[in-house]
Amino acid sequence: MNVLPPMRNERLFVPFLDEVDGTLCLPANATAADIHAQARAHRLRFPLLLDEAKTLREQIVATTHAPASCRFGPYCDNVLGMNWRLPSGRITRIGERVVKTTTGFDWLRFLLHSGSRHGEPVDYVLRLRPDCGFTAIARFDGDAEALRSCVSKLLHSGWMHWWDAVDFLTEAGTSFIRVMVHCVPEEASIFAQQLEHVAASASAQLTLQNDVPQALDGLPDLVVKTTPDRVIDLAAELAPGASRCVALCYSGVVHVYMNESDDLTERTQALVQPHASELYSLGGDWHSRRLPATPPTITESAWLNTLDQAIHAAAGSDGVGE
Amino acid sequence: MKSSLEHQLKALLPRGRVLISAAQLAGYGADGLGYKNHLPDAVVIPADAQELAGFMKGAKALEVPVVMRGAGTSLSGGPVAVQGGVIVHTSALKKIREINTEGFWCEVECGVTLNDLDATLKPHGVFYPPDPSSGPVCTLGGNVASNAGGAHCFRYGVTSNYVLGVEAVMLDGSVHCFGGPAGGRGPWREDWKRFMIGSEGTLAAFTRFWLRLLPLPEKVWTFRATYPDLKTTEAAIHALVAHSSYPAAIEMLDPRGVAMVESSQMACGLPEGSFMLLVEIDGPEALVNARVPSVVELLRRAGSNDVMFSDEEALRQKLWKARKAAGGLLGQLSPAYVVQDAVIPKRALAEVLQLVYDEADAANIRAVNVFHAGDGNLHPNFLFDSRVPGELEKVELISKRLMQRVIEVGGTLSGEHGIGDDKSAYMPLVFGPDSMRLQLSVPAAFNPAHQMNPLKVFENRHFIT
Repeated sequence: MNVLPPMRNERLFVPFLDEVDGTLCLPANATAADIHAQARAHRLRFPLLLDEAKTLREQIVATTHAPASCRFGPYCDNVLGMNWRLPSGRITRIGERVVKTTTGFDWLRFLLHSGSRHGEPVDYVLRLRPDCGFTAIARFDGDAEALRSCVSKLLHSGWMHWWDAVDFLTEAGTSFIRVMVHCVPEEASIFAQQLEHVAASASAQLTLQNDVPQALDGLPDLVVKTTPDRVIDLAAELAPGASRCVALCYSGVVHVYMNESDDLTERTQALVQPHASELYSLGGDWHSRRLPATPPTITESAWLNTLDQAIHAAAGSDGVGE
Repeated sequence: MKSSLEHQLKALLPRGRVLISAAQLAGYGADGLGYKNHLPDAVVIPADAQELAGFMKGAKALEVPVVMRGAGTSLSGGPVAVQGGVIVHTSALKKIREINTEGFWCEVECGVTLNDLDATLKPHGVFYPPDPSSGPVCTLGGNVASNAGGAHCFRYGVTSNYVLGVEAVMLDGSVHCFGGPAGGRGPWREDWKRFMIGSEGTLAAFTRFWLRLLPLPEKVWTFRATYPDLKTTEAAIHALVAHSSYPAAIEMLDPRGVAMVESSQMACGLPEGSFMLLVEIDGPEALVNARVPSVVELLRRAGSNDVMFSDEEALRQKLWKARKAAGGLLGQLSPAYVVQDAVIPKRALAEVLQLVYDEADAANIRAVNVFHAGDGNLHPNFLFDSRVPGELEKVELISKRLMQRVIEVGGTLSGEHGIGDDKSAYMPLVFGPDSMRLQLSVPAAFNPAHQMNPLKVFENRHFIT
């Protein structure tokens, strides 16, 4: 058992699309158009897109979740592997191309949203999902009680698994619920009936747009993570200081969009600071692509130093592709 | 030495139990793998989380390995004291502390069994999806430590997809919450819980978890189809994984598994020589009922003229019978067996299964495949008798060749069982020099002397006092 071949090279990923597994490896600077160009031919999609023009890396740096995380989980459940450039410039493989692994310590999930301290992604391996060919967007309007009732009915039933997104949006003093549906065209009427049922039972007004593109909100300036039962209140509390808030209701995430200004950094800081203590007590967090990363605590500085020694260490020859 | 250890342990656990006699330790020598036996020097059973934390604070001074253990159902040799030392049995930490249905989370202690949690959650209309087959006895601590999966992972995912927070006790006795009900980082700069999940007891002791919940599906349909050959079975699997019904489970039993079931008291009329697929879809009644015809059509079009399906609980259980019976029958047929846990890209399924058959047949070892086909998560079971000289070595050689090929086709060693000491020798196949250095830096940060569960995950992790 102890006699095994010598240690392999870094087994770097080379770009691929596996239409059987529904996996796609492409550069971290790829955009939505690059993904569509490869995935659509095989009736596959990557549902966690936020922005048509920004790179995948920018989207993943900006936030841990997208609206479709309601159904498919956060980015870290949908990025299976990476080629990762270490601070030394060397590239190593992190993660896998298969959907399940418990082989070793989970550097993939640790690094994915850790910023640039430990290096940067070169390529991502994405988990794609079947493109069923039909997308609808439902909008529920009503008073605050009606909107809360809608969210409760949408999430607290077996239907919750099948909404691509259930979002509470507040903008310019107006709030509404947005539900995204993705299904085969033959099922569209079944989804429509359920949405009508929710609207009627919650005394809300439903507007349904059929066969439309997925809604893309763009990159948030601030991302706040709390529990699902707190997320609507939190979005409402953050909204006066923002141009728009999108609460991802099942994920417990608020995407905050700010007006551009010279004091954007200070405004962002001021907006979230009053909530920091409650967020931390719930095991939540916040981060902003506009702000520097949270400094490490004293305890974790020691752990980080140990990891850094491994990350910064020089090694033998460069890894080569599989 | 033992009396000294006993004395020290009793000082650390005033209310817990300390087991030290050979008879008491006998049940702790192995895990679900069975054939490897390493008796610990002692077993401690802390009365609660506070006492466990107190024990950890004093554990460093004991200068012996510390191995965490839940129910001991691991299939990788994980919760076994390979280097001796103390096993910490977490069976007393079994409180379900809170269920928050509005927030879709619950807080549980590490010794809660999976099925107890399920039963407690059910009246609340929510569930915790990971479902390893050891559910009646396995603990959530073991599930988190090994990143357990189960039959319904294809849609619902594995344990790491549902852990919002971990309370961990380090060897210095410090207690840290990594995450919590909200599932974020908490006040930390980094998301440390990511290293904790799947760490197989090598970093810290876990006392409690915050877990994400989902609403219970309203309706479940189960389908069973048999196929005459692997080619048609593969066609069905490939079509199912892309189907708009998003099956929750796609399970497979190979002809050797079918023969094993049919020659037992659990026989359920499966055709001889057939491959069996077990598929489950769930969801709201209106939606899932509408999907049934298309799933049946898919299974038939792929080449089955033997498709059975039902939404009635009793009939569904009958359809599951062969799949569920297989695990138990393996234990009856053979004094010992090794189950591998490789995950492969699904396009390599036929090739890798053929490799299993060829290698096992050449070595005259029985091999039965029953596995999670939707995930490409193979479970070849190699049946052998560890008392027969040379049999274990044959199985280890087959396993090694299998793992080499799995890595070559782009797969990985373990999907849901963990590495333990069963697969640690293969880790150099997976990790190159840089990634190996990253891997080893994680225990170096939290457990540099490898006192926690030595010789696991990486075989060079020796505890040196």
